[in-house]
Amino acid sequence: MLIRKWKQKAFEFSRIERIEAELLKRVPLCCEFDENSAVSSRIFPDPAAPIEREFIEDWNELVRPELRRLFLSAKQIVESDLDALKTKLGRLSRFLVPLDHGEPWLNTLNQARLVLATRFEFTEAELSAFDLPRTFSEREVVLHQINFYAAIQERLIEILLETSDGRNRSDAE
Amino acid sequence: MPETVVETKTEIQLVTPWNVVVHNDPVNLMSYVTMVFQKVFGYSRDRATRHMLEVHHLGRSIVWSGEREQAELYVQQLHGYLLQATLEKAEGC
Repeated sequence: MLIRKWKQKAFEFSRIERIEAELLKRVPLCCEFDENSAVSSRIFPDPAAPIEREFIEDWNELVRPELRRLFLSAKQIVESDLDALKTKLGRLSRFLVPLDHGEPWLNTLNQARLVLATRFEFTEAELSAFDLPRTFSEREVVLHQINFYAAIQERLIEILLETSDGRNRSDAE
Repeated sequence: MPETVVETKTEIQLVTPWNVVVHNDPVNLMSYVTMVFQKVFGYSRDRATRHMLEVHHLGRSIVWSGEREQAELYVQQLHGYLLQATLEKAEGC
């Protein structure tokens, strides 16, 4: 799969192989979690130490629903962009994502990686290692899935930074 | 004519500073954390990278200090980017 900037207005995902298309389509699904789980505590962590009880209560009542809406809206944008991803047998796919969907994509990929990493209790060492798997368990496959999403995030960030650097340069000229 | 003496008293009220602290998280990418610091605080890439490395190596970094209301807004924005951020009263206050 290749990700590059297309005509200053979109990210172009091209030469997408079937396995990559499958993993991309699973991104929104991976963001789902049970409200009373460890994942929920990671997606919505407390904003202060427990001594700030009143602040945390207000936060849970007022800010948390806002954050939930933000994450849901990012996920919906990604879902709708992914509608364009159709794989035909024997053919590599291609689709475009508008540049201003960069943040929702980064956010949703982050949600997916956080949910998977928390659910499978990956350690920092595991997440930063690039060793070949010794076993082919579901856990190993999920680790590769997390790293695949991380690689997409890295590429999107590179493109966004190039775009903003270019904009800053032309503003200065 | 009697002389009027006006006494003035100046009181300086120090506002307790609050810290916005970002905690280490193995899932968030270093490039992502740096980008978020640039976006939220308007930091240069160098400054944002310094804070990101502090988070990575020391487990946390005080990314901003100041009035509580603003600190709360920053914590909210950072949570919107899924970073683990907390509000803490500055030490010694």
